[in-house]
Amino acid sequence: MQGNRNALKVAMVSVLTAVVVVFTMVVRIPTARGYLNLCDVAICFIAFTFGPWSAFIAAGLGTALADLISGYAQWAPISFVVHGVEGLLVALIVQKKGDATVSVGRKVLAAFICIATVSLGYFALSALFISTVSVAAAEIPGNIAQSAVGFALGLVVSAAVKRAYPPVSSLTW
Amino acid sequence: MTTNTYIAGKGWLYRFDPRAKLLLMLLMCVWFFLPVTLLHLALVVALVVLVGAHSTGWHHAWRTVYSISPMLLFMILFMPFNVREGVPLVSIGSFTVITKEGLEQALRLMSRFIGITYVCTLLFATTVMHEVMLTLRWYHLPYKASLVVTLAFTYIPFIADSFSQISESHRLREAEDEQKKKVGQRLKDLVPTLTSALVVALRSIPNLAMSLEMRGFGRQERRSSYHSLDAYHHVCTNFLLACIIPLAFWLASMLF
Repeated sequence: MQGNRNALKVAMVSVLTAVVVVFTMVVRIPTARGYLNLCDVAICFIAFTFGPWSAFIAAGLGTALADLISGYAQWAPISFVVHGVEGLLVALIVQKKGDATVSVGRKVLAAFICIATVSLGYFALSALFISTVSVAAAEIPGNIAQSAVGFALGLVVSAAVKRAYPPVSSLTW
Repeated sequence: MTTNTYIAGKGWLYRFDPRAKLLLMLLMCVWFFLPVTLLHLALVVALVVLVGAHSTGWHHAWRTVYSISPMLLFMILFMPFNVREGVPLVSIGSFTVITKEGLEQALRLMSRFIGITYVCTLLFATTVMHEVMLTLRWYHLPYKASLVVTLAFTYIPFIADSFSQISESHRLREAEDEQKKKVGQRLKDLVPTLTSALVVALRSIPNLAMSLEMRGFGRQERRSSYHSLDAYHHVCTNFLLACIIPLAFWLASMLF
């Protein structure tokens, strides 16, 4: 039985990682430091639907793999940390017991944490390891816009997927 | 969607043991942060690009630099203005626009950035993905983690293909031109496409879990593997070289 559960966890994380990679690579808007994309939609969807650990692994691994594939290998470790933590924190905030609904206050807090984690995380790690404070600071508005749009779309998509495919609720880890 | 970063070739980098290559990549990334002169840094970056391009071709080298060109442009445009102290190079009246130190710092950052990007890209361009996974497992990456990465790579083309098909079919139903829509409307129209693509992806999870169980995932016996890194000879020599190359660069920068 434990083996069955483990197989399901591995299958779930693998497919969700692939989803994050595809969402990161499908829509790309080039910027000074890299590109803006839809990865936050996938990450917030996973955080709302699948729980903290799935969100942490799929978000971190998915964005890191997307960076590796796209030729932005130097950002892979930064993306792993920033987006992994983003997924984990958002999922922990919106985590609910049973069929209880998530309050608006918690959703707003999750949105704030999501935006702060992405923008400040990229700013700090990028300024520290890759570029400089001024170059990293120039990307903050873009990251804020990307994560805010990603959070809103993730929320909407999560509700739509739960309606369209109810068995998804049993896949929480 | 292209998920394969490997470029077929025969250079010495292809014969270099992937485990030692990973170590060399990490040591070179550290080397680029050492306090060496700009000339030494630029020379080492040029040498790395030269050696890499000899193995993978100039097209790959150019493509790598081209992919980071917006960032390089940003650095050269803004960095010199941020460093105010030092010998003035360009001045308007009493206002110093660019200093020697500012320009030097911009060039140093650019060289370091090209160097790190190129060595990281080179590892994946000269090593096939299953060997990268074997290398990570050799460095004690857990089996489950490497299985997740391998399965993710298998599913990326399937999900990307589904997304494209769903996106196209949704676009065909719309009468309005995509370009004429406002950003908000375009994002709103994206929701059905994303939902459909996600449902298609999620439906594959139970099937994948079942096939993993059928293939013996979770059993106690050690799983057989068809791939190994045994084909690489002189592993110790390669590891030694991986340590010597960055050390030699550093000593050369100290002596000359």
